[in-house]
Amino acid sequence: MTDTAVQPAASGKPGFFTTQTLQKAVAFVVLIALIAFFSAFASNFATGANMVGIMQATAVNGVLGVAVTFVIISGGIDLSVGTMMTLTAVMAGIVLTNLGMPLPIGILGAIASGAFMGAISGAVIAKLKIPPFIATLGMMQIARGLALVFSGAKPIYFNSTPNYGLLSPESTISKLIPGVEIPNGVMIMFIVAIIASIVLTRTIVGRMIFALGSNEEAARLSGINVDRWKILTYAICGGICGIAGLIVSSRLNSAQPALGLGYELDAIAAAVIGGTSLAGGRGTVIGTIIGAFIMSVLTNGLRVMGVLEEWKIVVTGVIIIVAVFIDIVLRRKA
Amino acid sequence: MKKTILTSALALGLAIGAPAFAQETYFPIIAKGFSHQFWQAVKAGAEEAAARNGVTITFEGPNTEAEIDKQTDILNAAIAKNPQGLGFAALDSQAQVPALQKAADAGIPIVAFDSGVESDLPLTTCTTDNMAAAAAAADGLAKAIGEEGKIAAVIHDQTSATGIGRRDGFLNRIKEAYPNIEVVDVQYANDALKAADNVKAMLQANPDIKGIFASNEGAAIGLAVAIKETGAKIVGVGFDSGKSQKDAINDGTLIGSITQNPVGIGQCVVDSLAKAIKGEELPKVIDTGFYWYDKTNMADEKIAAVLYD
Amino acid sequence: MTEQPTAAPLVEMRGIEKSFPGVRALQGVQFDLRPGEVHALMGENGAGKSTLMKILTGVYQPDGGEIRVDGQPVTLPTPHAAQALGISIIHQELFLMNHLTAAQNIFIGREPRKGLGIFVDEAKLKRDAAAIFKRMKVHIDPGAEVGHMTVARQQLVEIAKALSYNARVLVMDEPTSALNETEVEHLFGVIEDLKANGVGVVYITHKMDEVKRIADRVTVMRDGQYIDTLPAAQTPMSTIIQLMVGRELADQHRATGTGTAEEVLRVEGLNRGSTIRNVSFALKKGEILGFAGLMGAGRTEVARAIFGADPLDSGTIRIHGREQRIATPADAVAQGIAYLSEDRKHFGLVTGMSVRDNVTMASWRRFISGGVFMQDDALGRVAEDYVRKLKVKTPHIHQETRLLSGGNQQKVVIAKWLLRDCDILIFDEPTRGIDVGAKAEIYRLLEDLAAGGKAIIVISSELPEVLRLSHRIAVMCEGRITGELDGRTASQEDIMTLATQRSSAAA
Repeated sequence: MTDTAVQPAASGKPGFFTTQTLQKAVAFVVLIALIAFFSAFASNFATGANMVGIMQATAVNGVLGVAVTFVIISGGIDLSVGTMMTLTAVMAGIVLTNLGMPLPIGILGAIASGAFMGAISGAVIAKLKIPPFIATLGMMQIARGLALVFSGAKPIYFNSTPNYGLLSPESTISKLIPGVEIPNGVMIMFIVAIIASIVLTRTIVGRMIFALGSNEEAARLSGINVDRWKILTYAICGGICGIAGLIVSSRLNSAQPALGLGYELDAIAAAVIGGTSLAGGRGTVIGTIIGAFIMSVLTNGLRVMGVLEEWKIVVTGVIIIVAVFIDIVLRRKA
Repeated sequence: MKKTILTSALALGLAIGAPAFAQETYFPIIAKGFSHQFWQAVKAGAEEAAARNGVTITFEGPNTEAEIDKQTDILNAAIAKNPQGLGFAALDSQAQVPALQKAADAGIPIVAFDSGVESDLPLTTCTTDNMAAAAAAADGLAKAIGEEGKIAAVIHDQTSATGIGRRDGFLNRIKEAYPNIEVVDVQYANDALKAADNVKAMLQANPDIKGIFASNEGAAIGLAVAIKETGAKIVGVGFDSGKSQKDAINDGTLIGSITQNPVGIGQCVVDSLAKAIKGEELPKVIDTGFYWYDKTNMADEKIAAVLYD
Repeated sequence: MTEQPTAAPLVEMRGIEKSFPGVRALQGVQFDLRPGEVHALMGENGAGKSTLMKILTGVYQPDGGEIRVDGQPVTLPTPHAAQALGISIIHQELFLMNHLTAAQNIFIGREPRKGLGIFVDEAKLKRDAAAIFKRMKVHIDPGAEVGHMTVARQQLVEIAKALSYNARVLVMDEPTSALNETEVEHLFGVIEDLKANGVGVVYITHKMDEVKRIADRVTVMRDGQYIDTLPAAQTPMSTIIQLMVGRELADQHRATGTGTAEEVLRVEGLNRGSTIRNVSFALKKGEILGFAGLMGAGRTEVARAIFGADPLDSGTIRIHGREQRIATPADAVAQGIAYLSEDRKHFGLVTGMSVRDNVTMASWRRFISGGVFMQDDALGRVAEDYVRKLKVKTPHIHQETRLLSGGNQQKVVIAKWLLRDCDILIFDEPTRGIDVGAKAEIYRLLEDLAAGGKAIIVISSELPEVLRLSHRIAVMCEGRITGELDGRTASQEDIMTLATQRSSAAA
């Protein structure tokens, strides 16, 4: 086979229309189109209060989506994000209500317990060579069971932690800019997204995660300690689940141990719709957030239009397939 | 080779152990779920009655109220233990009848609770009359909005008998007794978080809603959260109890709720089974009762006893 | 060529031409096969043997020339067409369905039916299969699952399948590569039977001794051209070897000097199963050690084992005189060993990432500030530096490496290891798939590196390349090092002799 040298234009920077930007653009266009559609056909959709409601409804899924994006880019999957969120909420409850510790310790407890459980998933996957699907499926059940065990199968209430509402339903920003009633939970989601984006694109952690997902064997043969980075990736995912746990339990002012089953599918859907490839090596945090918003705009819009629950679920499924199809088409073109 | 030795040893052990086991009267109680406070209260009642009657019970349930098949597995496993009686709260009032038939064939007396089954197999059913209870909720809601205006409902389940019963009970009561009230929306949400977002969307679609009914504890928590977040001046009526809901009623977010008597249900099941093995007759249905409660009567002894945390 | 009065040939190929983009694979090749004959086809890797056979079995179409079967000119547009004419091939990698039985595999797609054609007549299936096995005089249970059989038996099932198509021409590609001595004997017995029944066998192999035992004639190819056809028994091995390699060396440039005397790497007694057998050698600073041998000889396995990519059963590795434990590639890199794998697309590059990221991948740890942040500017500068130094043709350093040509991809991989500043560089087939111009650049680069004090191992299947570069040459065959040669004076024949010297030959 001979060499055919590639002789393209001599510009110094990559073009704007790389595959990844294209995918994000498509997702964004879809989001705008949906908002336009519902604004036109559903009365009371396009109000400030409803927009805030949509954002509020996206907070938890958005954060879980970001968590799972890390893992999917690295070439893995994490089915336990939903129940891990529940477990970390319970841990926050134990630390704050049962042990009476101050709020910062509770926050730390939630995130640390999530990171710890995530690291265990990562270790099982990296060292025992158990496929991520199976390992995190097991962790999903373990987290669920532990949540019930630690909470005694009862919700834990945060009435003794007066500032707990700060984490989600309260709106600090409305005190600074009157009229902008964006709840803190939503702000936390945006902050998490920004930090996650920086980590993925600018730090060594992100670089390693992309390398692992793109070609794990080539990375290993370049002298990279693949096992260590894998464990770290799952630990990061778990830690972010802890943040989701804080948001949801703050909004309900209680840690509900029965909640969380099924949330992982919505999180993965958000990532996939946003352009994260399940094959690994490709994805963005912005895309995932857009994906999460697409899902909640759909849900909210259909509800405001009065569409039956059953059809709402069908439509979401169709959107996922369409999104993945677009991803495949774009990739084939590149 | 190894397998046969193992199974024979096991069989021998069981044979020796089994008669000893049969001395104690044992009732497995199978509920619809495990995690909601409601079931924990039923369990407390059952355990109290068990101690009083001098019998042993186990209390189990599947992870979620959607896992009909899991509950059937639990049921089959319980039957295989050859108990003296069986308490069962069916997730699906028709699909699980064949499994119960097996129990009946083995001569095991069955008492149903919470949701009934569509068959004559249970000797009695200890239950709240869900339709009547929801109707009472409708009354409470209607009174609070002056018997006219637009309302909505958020129901916890589309397929279980309780979900259907409470929804229909509520809607029928409104239709027949309050012609000036219009139900504009009925939504479904199986956890508190989803209920909260659901309610907010409903309020967006119909800003002139005056009141909303939530058909179980989780839905009620979601309703309360949504009311707090939107600051909407609407009347909220819940169902069951639980600390969140009680607090919401106390601070005025919800105006009232219907409580079942979960402790009473638990007691009823075990008491009925104890009576059954003594050969006593039992009525077809034992209504364990429900009560409307709000700020004014929550502290009453009778009401407080059936509210759980 | 010795002519013998014989029956009309089963198959005749004349003047076969075949080209692929940029490469002339076959030029004016001829080949013929007589009934009841075993005709060996020999040549180096890349000589064109498999291309020729792919044309015979209908996988490729010739650009020129003619094929005759039973004296009649034919075209073979598809494998099916070839099969219909009785031409079958047993590939080196068997194409069997492991979860099906022998009988099911043989008759796949042609199962006998019953019951209005809906049901498979399993009984007849088994009977027919048993009949074929009987003809072959082998004992195989038609109902046994193929996946559970030894390779030897799987091969027999493949032969049975070919026979069930009434094959009269059987092409066998390296048939004994996975067989032990007894199984080889057995196979030869089956082949003798086939011969007696008039079947013609094309036998592709590197194993000289087998050719001597089983073949009637042997045809040698080289660089896509037909060289000669000789009677197998009478022709000495050395003649055959000479025909296989006897080319004019276009580039007569040879390595000069011997490198320094300082030993950087010494491996002793490396063993892994039957793939690596008691391999020992040393490597000196400033030296290029060429590793020659046929494909499958074990050279890549040895390299990967030294690099920690695969485990070893036993053996020691000494670096700068000190014994080191190398369990993972990370260990090897820490000791200053670099390995460029032969499959750069799968193991050398992360093709979805940019030139910049690939060049710096083994050195990312050096470009971190504040504990976590990547110094993208510094990374970019370094990458551009190497792109310039190695003349990598890419529009910019953010280009995804999968869009580069093969030669430039290879340069990116080389840059990665140069940046890491490893002392010991192992290059596995460094110029595979690269054009002449780029090759010359890479040769110069390797020589400069050696002159600059690196110790280099070059694994290559291209004899001219090995001779061009190496100060010393180690030759491997079937997992063993069969000999070491002085790179400045060795000849292609010397190498080939050692490369085909199986353990049964005198030490």
